[in-house]
Amino acid sequence: MEKQVAIVGYAQTGYGSYVDASREILVLEAAAGALRSAGISREVLDTVVTATNDYMDGRTISNMRLVEPSGAWFKDESKVEMDGAYAVLYAMMRILSGDHDVAMVIGASQASVYPTYIPGVMMLDPTFDRERWLLNEVSAGALQARAYMDAYGATEEQIAGISVKNLRNAAGNPLAVRRMPVLTVDDVMDSRMLYSPIRELNAFPPSDGACSVILASSEKAEQITDNPVWIHGVGFSHDSYLTERPLDKLGSLKQAADRAYAAAGISDAKDQVDVAEVHENFSHEELMAYEALGFCGEGRGSALLESGATKMNGELPVNPSGGALAANAACAAGLARIAEAALQVRGEAGSHQVKGVKTALAHGQTGLCAQENIVFILGGE
Amino acid sequence: MEMKSETTSIPGNWRLDQFRWKTEQVKLMGKFLAGLKEKQVLGLKCPGCGLVYVPPKPFCRCLERPEKWVEVSDEGVVTTFTFSGTWAFRGFEEADESETRIIVGIKLDGADTLGLSLLQGSDPADVDVGMRIKIRWPDAPEGALKDILFVEPA
Amino acid sequence: MQDVAVIGVGLSKHVSKRRDVNIAELVYEAVSAAYDDAGVSPRDMDAVITGNMPAFEGVNMPELWGAGHWGAYGKPLLRITTGGTTGGSVVHGAFYAVASGMFDTVIAISFEKQSDGDTTMGLNSVGIADFAAILHFGTDPEFLVSAGGGAIGIVAYQATSYMKSSGCTTHHYDKVAAMCRSNAARNPYAHLKQPDITPEDVAKTDMMEYPLRFGHCCPATDGACAMIITSADKAKKMTGRPAYIKSCASCSDEAAIIGIFGGGPAHLDPCSQEGCKKAAEKAYKLAGIKEPRKEIDVAEPYAPFANQLLMFYERLFLCDEGEAPAVLDSGSMEIDGELPVCPSGGVISTNAIGASAMERIAECALQIMGKAGEHQVNKDVHNAVAHGWGGALNLNVVAVLGDTPRR
Repeated sequence: MEKQVAIVGYAQTGYGSYVDASREILVLEAAAGALRSAGISREVLDTVVTATNDYMDGRTISNMRLVEPSGAWFKDESKVEMDGAYAVLYAMMRILSGDHDVAMVIGASQASVYPTYIPGVMMLDPTFDRERWLLNEVSAGALQARAYMDAYGATEEQIAGISVKNLRNAAGNPLAVRRMPVLTVDDVMDSRMLYSPIRELNAFPPSDGACSVILASSEKAEQITDNPVWIHGVGFSHDSYLTERPLDKLGSLKQAADRAYAAAGISDAKDQVDVAEVHENFSHEELMAYEALGFCGEGRGSALLESGATKMNGELPVNPSGGALAANAACAAGLARIAEAALQVRGEAGSHQVKGVKTALAHGQTGLCAQENIVFILGGE
Repeated sequence: MEMKSETTSIPGNWRLDQFRWKTEQVKLMGKFLAGLKEKQVLGLKCPGCGLVYVPPKPFCRCLERPEKWVEVSDEGVVTTFTFSGTWAFRGFEEADESETRIIVGIKLDGADTLGLSLLQGSDPADVDVGMRIKIRWPDAPEGALKDILFVEPA
Repeated sequence: MQDVAVIGVGLSKHVSKRRDVNIAELVYEAVSAAYDDAGVSPRDMDAVITGNMPAFEGVNMPELWGAGHWGAYGKPLLRITTGGTTGGSVVHGAFYAVASGMFDTVIAISFEKQSDGDTTMGLNSVGIADFAAILHFGTDPEFLVSAGGGAIGIVAYQATSYMKSSGCTTHHYDKVAAMCRSNAARNPYAHLKQPDITPEDVAKTDMMEYPLRFGHCCPATDGACAMIITSADKAKKMTGRPAYIKSCASCSDEAAIIGIFGGGPAHLDPCSQEGCKKAAEKAYKLAGIKEPRKEIDVAEPYAPFANQLLMFYERLFLCDEGEAPAVLDSGSMEIDGELPVCPSGGVISTNAIGASAMERIAECALQIMGKAGEHQVNKDVHNAVAHGWGGALNLNVVAVLGDTPRR
């Protein structure tokens, strides 16, 4: 895809396990921040796409009272009830149709508002799985981790290595919840066991926060900024329910990546992608993502990690921001990967900036055990 | 196990009692309620577009945050109304209404928002849009929203 | 950028309680009917756009375990939910998916199985986050719930306000209800079918909240709707007479739960509905419709309550403000009239919430394709307008369909 839609502004609120602000104010701060970052006023927006979830917000029609704080008053507004990365996709479709030029995308969630079990348990098949109380977000992730370890011989220590890499990276990201510059594999292995083999530091920290991104058509993007971040490709796919598919690989992520690479003209991801922001709710998912994204061969995720290639100074740094293990506001977590990837392309990431980024990959997921995945390829001029 | 010819209804309980919603209104309402105790209705004015929100609202459609307190009148106008029929709720239970209650939407002079009140001293046949009304203050307001529950023709 | 067309429509059986199927199976009825109607199979779909209003089922994102049944495995899927406007928003999503050139053929799916969940909980969840705060500051819960509780409480204000501004009487509301319910009797997928109902019958039903009677209000329905949407180029090869989606526009006004924190000036007159007007203006402009009242042949406004049909008829610029009651009296809105309104029977006869706004668009498509059967209007349909309304009285979606593409 040649320079049709660009990211021209973005903002993230700081993340925290308890942010003392309402959902509306978090969204307003993200919206106003993105407008400031793009240097435009609310009047310039044509459309607003929000990403929230009714069950997490504890409100039916969770977008209806976000119209004013998201800047959507008298705008063409809609809501994607998935990760915010999908809201970027929808906003992009709206722009490509030619009926809209400038779009605001906002994802937000507050883990301190909803009961802990909500995201996992309410997504389960209600007939067979929900009433049996065996599965939740973490226990499902644990089954996936075990299946992956069994299939490819990955060890708990190797998986802990992802936490060490990402949470050390997060020390350079002022917005992150977990900033741990001296974390070691032993520290991860000593952290509280949630569901074997997932320990506390292998799992995302439920967070409050909001993230916003402003997209524009090529014509508008060049008026708004000298430094647009172009969307070169996008791909997304829906996998089977977690009990109906092999859990040891991320099939829909591979499909999503293949589609995004085809659109962006990428034949060798490891060579052509300069930095990746992966939405890993659990450490093992990043190893699985390496394989699905084609950064390494099947079953070679641990070897890639141990080679150091995905470290901050490696050949293909993954999650310089710390990823979703460092801060995870549901509905904003994948969107934040896009904002972070855009920061990297623009060279605005400050102390977690990777040098010489031309092409960045951002990934978002929705559902249990990464059932639905979306991949974006971003780049500068 | 018993086989059923029907699917079973799924208990879709959200356990809403376990949610802990946050709202900035809690911070703002202290001032508003203190005003009621003095028989004053306070509104919050938006610095961006000048709208006056009663009761106070912490964000505005223009993306600014209203912050200036202003006093509005305790008189205003009926903008819409209804009265109870045979269908009514008493608390959270459905129940028969024994008496007809006239619920009016009111806009207080100086405010830009709608509030709801119960109209007293008027018949359903007489109430109309555009009618002038006045808040009927209790003798000793408590500093609670119920202080402004009743209005009467002005 | 490419033009967009509807080539197939499918509906499930709609009744108040579908106890014989679960959510996935209910949706399958509509989905398989749509595939059959268009003469395509799931293999032909490039993407799936779906949504419902999840509070009523008590399950979050049912497509995670249900969509395999609808042909979605391994396909791009997008979930769009916006409350009462969900079905319309899903079609908008499908429209943009194709119009953007990103996909050629997609299926749009919306549904509601209200009987599955706890309806009181579903309704409470609309406003409880705000109610909790206002109760905390000393409002009588009895007053609060009677003043704003449930959709009827809110729409009653709209109905009185509309009577004041247009000068109409409750007799007009009775006529609207009778017209829609008798249209519904011709529609095999409608829920409340009353072929011989008269306005006098409606006037005899119980008063719910003045001026709304039981007969003015929609039922709660279980049902699903699916549409196959493709590019104009493909549509021409696949069917003789596709219905083109010429434009989609939505507009969000300030949120209101009347009288509770957060309502802005938009709701001082609950009938003003500026959001609907802005959405309609934009949709007509994009579709190249200059004089809607002359160019539109069928209208499907979203009216769960009788008064709203008249109000939205005006807000869709199909007559001047305040004139809708006179248009109704002229007989023009009848199924054999000049500009038939809700030939499907409308939302007042069938309300599977998440699907309702899509069913308005589906009816317009059926009328243009000439596939509406017993409820086909008695005229050539070149252009039709479909509308959806919901949220906190503030979300509006409008789509204009026609027998020719936009460009």
